[in-house]
Amino acid sequence: MIRIKLEIWMWLGKELGEDFQSLSEMRSIREEEVEEGITIRDFIDRLAQRDQPIREKVFDRGRKSFYPHIVATLNERVISPYEVYDRVLKDGDKITVLPMYVGG
Amino acid sequence: MDIGGYVGKILRVDLSSGKTSVKELDRSFIEKWVGGVGFGARCLYEEVPAGVKWSDPENRLIWTSGPLAGSGVYGAGTFNVASKGPLTNLAGCSQANGFFGAYLKFSGFDGIIFQGKASNLVYLLIKDGKAEIRDARHLAGKDVWETEDALRRELGVKEREVSIFGIGPAGENGVLYSAIVGDRGHLAAHNGLGAVMGSKNLKAVVAYGGKRNFEIKNSKLLKEKNDAMFEHAKGFGPFYQWGTGGGFSALYGIGCLPVKNYNTNIFPEHERMNSQYMRTHFEIRSKPCYMCRVAHMKEVTVTEGPYKGFVAEESEYEQLAAWGPQIGNTDLGAVVMLSDEVDRLGMDCNEASWTIGWVVECYEKGIFSQKDLDGLDMKWGKVEMVKIMLNKIAKREGIGDLLAEGVMRASKKIGGEAANWAIYTLKGCTSRSHDHRGGRWAELFDTCLTNTSTLESTWAGVHTQMVDLPAVSDPFSHEEMSTLNAKFNGIRQFDDCLGTCRIASTHPKLQLECLNAVTGWELSLEDAFNIGRRVINQLRVFNFRHGMKKEEEEEEEEEEERPSLRYGSIPVDGPAQGKNIMEKWDWMLKNYYTLMGWDPETGKPLPKTLRGARLKRFD
Repeated sequence: MIRIKLEIWMWLGKELGEDFQSLSEMRSIREEEVEEGITIRDFIDRLAQRDQPIREKVFDRGRKSFYPHIVATLNERVISPYEVYDRVLKDGDKITVLPMYVGG
Repeated sequence: MDIGGYVGKILRVDLSSGKTSVKELDRSFIEKWVGGVGFGARCLYEEVPAGVKWSDPENRLIWTSGPLAGSGVYGAGTFNVASKGPLTNLAGCSQANGFFGAYLKFSGFDGIIFQGKASNLVYLLIKDGKAEIRDARHLAGKDVWETEDALRRELGVKEREVSIFGIGPAGENGVLYSAIVGDRGHLAAHNGLGAVMGSKNLKAVVAYGGKRNFEIKNSKLLKEKNDAMFEHAKGFGPFYQWGTGGGFSALYGIGCLPVKNYNTNIFPEHERMNSQYMRTHFEIRSKPCYMCRVAHMKEVTVTEGPYKGFVAEESEYEQLAAWGPQIGNTDLGAVVMLSDEVDRLGMDCNEASWTIGWVVECYEKGIFSQKDLDGLDMKWGKVEMVKIMLNKIAKREGIGDLLAEGVMRASKKIGGEAANWAIYTLKGCTSRSHDHRGGRWAELFDTCLTNTSTLESTWAGVHTQMVDLPAVSDPFSHEEMSTLNAKFNGIRQFDDCLGTCRIASTHPKLQLECLNAVTGWELSLEDAFNIGRRVINQLRVFNFRHGMKKEEEEEEEEEEERPSLRYGSIPVDGPAQGKNIMEKWDWMLKNYYTLMGWDPETGKPLPKTLRGARLKRFD
């Protein structure tokens, strides 16, 4: 098994509720234990299946991709949706989910 | 006026002769140009021929409200300023929130056209359909807050009895990025419109508040749609709870926070420099704009650090970025102090910060000595040095005289390697305080392509579904971003015709329904896009008429629709490391031009495009 850290930032994280560690206005963090060889797509899809807020706000299970207003980073590097989903996760990887928004 | 939302009158002020006149607005003109930037773009085109420089008395300075301003739509106190601006020597259009857009109408006018140049410093007072040009020599040299205070005192009016917008020392001294500032913290900041105002010897404009003096066709429907729009705004991004700085850390996460003049994208202090920190640590008081329930504007008292006790407007996103990471500062109190200073002096914080960041980099790398900088030790994060430098710029004193020309001109004058370190577009304007090389390619492209000197088409590449456009999947796709900018083009300019704040009016379709309720029109979303595109094409024709260059026409000149070397460079670290927008820039341009109905080589609107926009032939 490997451990993957998931961070959901800003107002996205706030909507996910109490099952996240370090829930705050800034970021919600938790670690997941998954089997070796899992891809990012399958990892997030599994979370979306389990957690309604992720299903509704982060990952579109129908299209098997993040919603358009989401940007994801892997180990603090933005990952293009065209290349990200089939990447196999390694122990200690960190996926960060950020909102894209108008303004600022 | 039988159209709801309009007073039906435009005031003309000839500052050379001291005469004012009033013209009734023509129905067909209103229907074609709507208001705000639409009125401004058309008047600019009709009245400012080729050859007129930004500082010529014959340049126009056009202040226009819109049909929703003062209507009861929440936060509708916005107005637009249009002119030929000094940074680009092309059209400049910029909006300010606050109260003026509503009070302008309550004073009897949908807009004011300034022309000529007064023989000495004056201000304009408008009230009850009358206008008076008054002596302002006693206000010379005062900053914008001192000017507001002095005028309120001598008029004997309370804070919100009048709305006052004016210029500070920067505008009086012709700093090319001077802003028009008013209502204690609102700015029409882009393309040096404050310098145009200064060139006309116009210090300020005072408009009186009052009762609504125009018709609303369907008040019941307006209330229903306005309330729905407020509910939408409450849940739209971070703005309702945290203001525009609520996205500061999210922008850091996608590589969009400008850090030390693009030399890095690493800024671990971001969580102590955002609005979440400010609003949970500093004392906060609400300061809403005209009839605004969203009320994202606040006043703060700094409660920690060297600037403890300092009271000022809350720094919004652009100020947070400009006076935080871009200049290497990690003290949030200092950000509030510098935001207040640059506003008081009457300058655009974005251009000022790009200029300061470039100066610090040049100093660090030995291009400037301390002596060159009039003794200032301009290292990263030295905020008191920055404050002194801002004052030197506003007064064009010493090195400030060079820096008052903006970062493009200053860097070209210094030349050598230093010329490659400045962040700007080749048109001469600069971006808002983002690092657009991160997840905001749509805005980088827009900033270079703009006909107004500030953002023209995009909403940062997101929320496409709100205007019935397909979702975008990759913010780093050359294809998607250039196509999105073209497809999205129009709705933002339409919005800028209406006299509303974008933070309070976040839902274009509901906003359109509000407009129809006020005016009695039955405009569709497609109509809104078409009106916005008409404005874009009008401004583009104006810009070509005023010398916007293309490679094909003048080979020795640089093409203007392009970022500077540093602005278009590849991030060396951080979330967007290695992303290269310039790889397909020429393809992006051609794709965008084609989708806009412009010549794919020259970027000029094609005759059929102008006919479709109900504009005359290209001239």
